[in-house]
Amino acid sequence: MFKKFFMLMAFCLIFSQTALARTIVFAVDATWPPMEFVNEDKEIVGYSIDYMKAAAKEAGFTPVFKNTAWDGIFAGLAGGNYDAICSSVSITPERKKAMDFSEPYFKVSQGLVVPKESKAKSLEDMKGKVVGAQIGTTGYFAVKKVPGVVAKSYDEIGLAMQDLLNGRIDGVVCDDPVAAQYALREPKFSEKLKIGAIIDSGDEYYGIAVKKGNKEVLDLINKGIRAVKAKGIEKQIKEKWFGSN
Amino acid sequence: MNRDKEIKIDVTDGAAIPSPKDKGLVTAWRITLIGALLTIILLVAFKPDPYLRILKFVPDGILVTFEVTFLSIALSLIVGLLTGLGRIARNRFVNLIASIYVEVIRGIPLLVQLFYIYYALGSFVQVPPFLAAVLAMTICYGAYMGEVFRAGIESIDHGQTEAARSLGFNRTQTMFYVIIPQAMRTILPPVGNEFIALLKDTSLVSILAVADLLRRGREFATETFAYFETYTMIALIYLLITLILSKMVSIMEEKMKPYE
Repeated sequence: MFKKFFMLMAFCLIFSQTALARTIVFAVDATWPPMEFVNEDKEIVGYSIDYMKAAAKEAGFTPVFKNTAWDGIFAGLAGGNYDAICSSVSITPERKKAMDFSEPYFKVSQGLVVPKESKAKSLEDMKGKVVGAQIGTTGYFAVKKVPGVVAKSYDEIGLAMQDLLNGRIDGVVCDDPVAAQYALREPKFSEKLKIGAIIDSGDEYYGIAVKKGNKEVLDLINKGIRAVKAKGIEKQIKEKWFGSN
Repeated sequence: MNRDKEIKIDVTDGAAIPSPKDKGLVTAWRITLIGALLTIILLVAFKPDPYLRILKFVPDGILVTFEVTFLSIALSLIVGLLTGLGRIARNRFVNLIASIYVEVIRGIPLLVQLFYIYYALGSFVQVPPFLAAVLAMTICYGAYMGEVFRAGIESIDHGQTEAARSLGFNRTQTMFYVIIPQAMRTILPPVGNEFIALLKDTSLVSILAVADLLRRGREFATETFAYFETYTMIALIYLLITLILSKMVSIMEEKMKPYE
């Protein structure tokens, strides 16, 4: 009796993972254009989102995107509120201690956004000035590392940009695709802002964060990312979101 | 009141009239205070790695929280008094303005007011974040305090006004020398509650990137991933501060108690 039951269970498990597409819930802080943001139709869109959808198609799972505030996004992963984070998470040694990462899917640097009239060419030129960044991001840690620069943490990068536009702070540091979005493409911001410097933070990459030890989800995601790279789908997505620049 | 009791009052060993609240050593306030303090001490003693670092990280945040709190309290007392007087003013126009102010502000959440003053008005006027925080807290709590003041003033028997007026006080003198000093007693407990509510609500200003206690804690948590430890500590610190504040209020209440 028991044997039969276990056989059935095992069969169900194997079956569900192969024939039925597994659902993976991704947490997204959709305030990071063009990587991930909410468009006018209230849908979560962006480069990371398209990438993960393509990866899901290749690896055979169903992605579900759940909008989550950045501050606390890692706590939610540890608490098991979702399976993974697809939200431009930079792979850092500190974060690796607390969670597992997929293969990188995007190379990133930090961009310093300043007003058009500013002469700053690096973060060091911002000594004695106030530089904003989003709380808990690599950009914020980069600002904090430079002595003499006053770091200010915001809940969302948009709020920091708004303050920069209004002249309340002197600069904003964030991932370069985001910096490009605000300083080059958003009409309201690009009139007054520019990218003052690209701060090379070594080899920094985005990866999908997964709860430590959740190998099953990690393998699925990695399979998808590999396929997207191998089939040249990555290039199409890049062209869609970043054009030719 | 007989002479014996009067002599007793001069003796400094405690109040002459025991208040019903004070039931010996075991009070909820004491238990909570000792509990909070002990928890902090034990946490720091047994797990200094995150907890002590958190304690070192947050003092300037506590300072900012205090600055916002006390500035807002001082200003909202003034705004509240003016609003309270406006709400009972005979001048229809003044009364209407004060009433509309209370009605509008009480109907908008504080968080929305904070966003409004900082980000919405930021398109026209540049208010520094700290000032925006104090301004929003003042405007919001000024309305609440106004109602407290109004109720307190209205609770004073009308005979007091009649007596003062017949003694030759004019309306303003009556208000400031006779009515308000008596109303203070009624007003103090609810105002004390507003103080404590205000202190707790200052945690909302962290949304404006003001580096208060909560934001400092969040910065620490996002950097170290020690969410549980950080927020435990932050909660305990807030609790300690409010306990001290509530004690101050009840001491003031004691001082104001009339000796029958």
